[in-house]
Order: sequence, then structure tokens, then C-alpha cells
Amino acid sequence: MPLLEKKNNKTLSWLKYGIGSAVVLLLVYNSVYFRKLDEVKAEASGKFDAAAFAKTFLEKQLTPKLATAPDIDELTTLLSTDKNKAFEMYSHATAIGNIRYFLVKGQGTITQINENDLTIQTPKQQLTLAMEFIYGNALRDASGEFDITKFTKTADINNVSSELNKLIRASVVFPFRPKAKVGDTVQFAGAIALNKEHLNLTEIEVVPASLK
Amino acid sequence: MQTTLETQKQRLSKLQPLIALFVLCLIIGLLSDKFFTVSNFWNVLRQISVNICLSVGMTLVVLMAGIDLSVGSVLALCGAITAGLFKMGIELPSQNLYIGFTLLGASLAGVLTGALLGFFNGFVITRFKVPSFVATLAMLTVARGLTMLWTKGFPISGLGEQFAYMGTGWFLGVPVPVWISAVVVALAVFLSDKTKLGRYIYAIGGNENASLLSGININKVKIIVYTIAGALAAVGGLMVTSRLDSAQPNAGTGYELDSIAAVVIGGTSLSGGKGSIWGTVLGAIIIGVLNNGLVLLNVSPFWQQVVKGFVILLAVIIDKANSKNG
Repeated sequence: MPLLEKKNNKTLSWLKYGIGSAVVLLLVYNSVYFRKLDEVKAEASGKFDAAAFAKTFLEKQLTPKLATAPDIDELTTLLSTDKNKAFEMYSHATAIGNIRYFLVKGQGTITQINENDLTIQTPKQQLTLAMEFIYGNALRDASGEFDITKFTKTADINNVSSELNKLIRASVVFPFRPKAKVGDTVQFAGAIALNKEHLNLTEIEVVPASLK
Repeated sequence: MQTTLETQKQRLSKLQPLIALFVLCLIIGLLSDKFFTVSNFWNVLRQISVNICLSVGMTLVVLMAGIDLSVGSVLALCGAITAGLFKMGIELPSQNLYIGFTLLGASLAGVLTGALLGFFNGFVITRFKVPSFVATLAMLTVARGLTMLWTKGFPISGLGEQFAYMGTGWFLGVPVPVWISAVVVALAVFLSDKTKLGRYIYAIGGNENASLLSGININKVKIIVYTIAGALAAVGGLMVTSRLDSAQPNAGTGYELDSIAAVVIGGTSLSGGKGSIWGTVLGAIIIGVLNNGLVLLNVSPFWQQVVKGFVILLAVIIDKANSKNG
């Protein structure tokens, strides 16, 4: 009897492992697939090229707009006196909500070099220039030139933001950052994001598009 | 007579989170006409789904008198790994080979990563006797760093409609994230109330030495619980990534605090051995309703943090008072 029980247990154990292995194999079979890399790359080249779009957008649409952007000190003065007018005149956004974006330019002195940004003192205020994490849609949306209706996929819209931020990081931030010293004067142009409902003008961060 | 009074007191203390939720809903409902609407109801449930997943794992850990501070970072890493594998796969140029991942494959890889990180937490805590606070604090930094390395500091976006279904879709008239969190809660309730492992978790939290002497393999139980907590953080990561259609490198920052808050408000004792999954679910709903109410009432985000902080403090003070009286 114990021998029979032992045999049954062994069978049960094999059955358990067998079913377990089958489930794992089924999961793996439905989880991955293999293709030739050159075929995948060839297919991808026919898709929307967010990097190329971002480059053209930066050169042809965003950069010309920066020249006409308001001075940051003048903008914040207007924001403190007539918030609605400032938002109406200078802000843009592609999405609904309270967050809106402004193109700005200005000049200031570097007062502190931080891990992720630079602290700048302009004639009227202190602000930060983003150096490490160039995130979000600020540059894409602030110009008001980005036409969201031309896109059929949300993914492409997001990818443009992502590529634009990468481009700024590589072509604007990386060449500038190693040379920056406390006391240097910097001319900047870029974008800021402000919340219309909960306006905070004491912690403004500029995402740079041009630094001199 | 005194025993009846004590029983009534205990019952009342168990009902406290429910009473708090009722009062909170009533106050917000009176102050905002948008609160008691169907769309807001689903909105709140959808928002708390992620916190419920994290908090359920956190409850199991806290019941053993531990803590897991890494859940927010693990959530971000697992979300990023899932998104990265699903969108870009793995390229092996030397072999001219592309390994693509289906939604199932990428999701499994994400959850396995979470489980692995949780296992590592448990291993460090049990093998090297590192306090859970320190071990998981270290993992918080490690996982965040790995997320930055994996994503190169940029969001991975454009994951497509199929991926978005997990975070934004509806099934039988209920949002998919709510289904996922309901399944997680059901499994966790079963585990904690109906299995040997569940009883061991309570026993270890109640008295670790006594559990050891009674023959419970404490290290094994701890490793299993941290592994579960990691896997559930990964599930939360999948939901966040799917909902945003993007894996953000800084996703989940501060989520560990919300999940600890849900656990504490739900009546689970931070010293272990006492508490329940249902209490945590209530705690998560309270946090969710509070967040939602403060937004509807147009309270500044800075004040929202202050209010939440005081609510957690109040919950702990009440818990302490109950323990003293009980």
C-alpha cells in the first residue's frame, strides 16, 4: 500500500511539473517572436520620422519665434498685474487644462550651478535653467506653431516632444554646460510652463532652446 | 458587562475608517456638486487602482512588521521595461536578429522584473539582516537609477491602443484598472485569510521569535512577501504606463508614501501582526477621495500635501489611542 501511494505521488508530481512546463512554454510562445533585424529596420524607415520632424520644427518654426518672444521680466510683471491678459497674449497649449506654455527670452547672471539646473539672476528675478532633464511639451507647445490636427496618432505627437527635447539636450545644453561658470552672463531663450489657476512666479524653470 | 463594552469598542475601532470615509464623502459632496456624479465615481476608482495594488503588497509587508520604500521606483522601472520591450524589443545586430515582445510578453517581463527586485529586497533583509527600511531605501535609489539608464532619461511613449486598454479601457461597464485591482484584492484576501502563508505573515508580525520557535521558516515567508510586493508594484507600473501611454522615468515618485498612508489609515499596525487587506482598500479609497475632493475644491497642490500629511498623522494617533485602550 505505501508503495502504491509512493508511486501515485510520483505520478502526481510528474503531472504537476508537466502541466507547469506546458503552461510556461505556452506563455513563452505567445510572448516573444523573432525576425531579421534588417527587415524590421527597413519597415521602420517607412514610418513617421519624429526626429526629422522635430529638427525641421526647431529650425523653421521654433527658432524664428524665439526672436519675437517677450522678455521674461516683462512677462512676469504683466502676469502679476494682469494674469488673464498675459495668458491670452503669450501662452499656448495643445491640450486642455490649466497648464499653458510661454516662449521667453532674457539675460541674467549665473549665481549657482546645481546638479540638474543653473540658477540665474535676471534684473528682476531669480529663475532656473533646466540642464539635466529636458522633459515635457513646453518647447513643442509654447511656439503656438505646432498643429496637432495634422497628426493621426497620439504616439507621433508625443514622439515629436521627445525628439525635440533630445535635440535640445544634444545641441544646446551639452555644448553650453561644461563652459558655464558662476558669474557668467547668459543670454537665453526657451519655454516655460505656468499653471493659470495656481500661478506660481517664484519657481520659474526655463527649458532652453538657445543659450549664449 | 465590561467585556461587552470592550467588544463594542473594538468593533467601533474597526469601523473607524468606514466612518471617516462616509464623513469625508459627505463633506466633499456638500461643498462640490461634481463629487456625487457617476463619472467622478469611476474617475476616483480608476485613480486609486494603482495605489490599491501597491498598498496590498505593502500591507503584507507591514503585517510582518516590515516596510517597503522601493515600490514607487520599482513601479517606474517595471513600467519602463515593459514599455521598452513592447515598443523596441531587443536588437542583436551581430546576429541580425530582432526579438520582439507581444503585449503579454512585455507585461510578463515587467512583472517578473518587479518580482525579482522584491526577491532581492527579501534576500538582503533575511540573509544580511539589513533593516527593511534601509534595504528598500537602497532599492528605491537603485531602481530609479536603473530606470534612468534604461530610458536614458526620456519617456518611452507611443505604445498604441492595445497597450492603452489596460489603463484606459472598459470591460463590462467597469474600467479595466478597477478589474485588475479587484482581482489583486481578492487574491490577497484569500492569501491572508485562507492560507498557511497568510497565517504565518500575521504570526511573524505578532511575534517573530515565537514564530521561529514554532517552526515557521521566517526567511522564506519574508522573501515570498517582498517578492509579492515587488510583483504588485510592477502591476501598478503597467497600469500607470498604459494609462499615460508613456513610461516616464520619474513615474511613481512619492507613491510609496501614498501606499503606506493607505495601509496606516486602513488600521494596519506599523509594528505588525494587526490589520487587514480590506482595511487597506478602505484606506486607499479615503486617500483617493481626499485627493479627488481637494482637486474638486480647487485647493492648491501644495496645501493638498499638507492636508494629506495631517490626515496620516491623525490616523496614526487614533491607532495608537486604540491600541492603548484595547
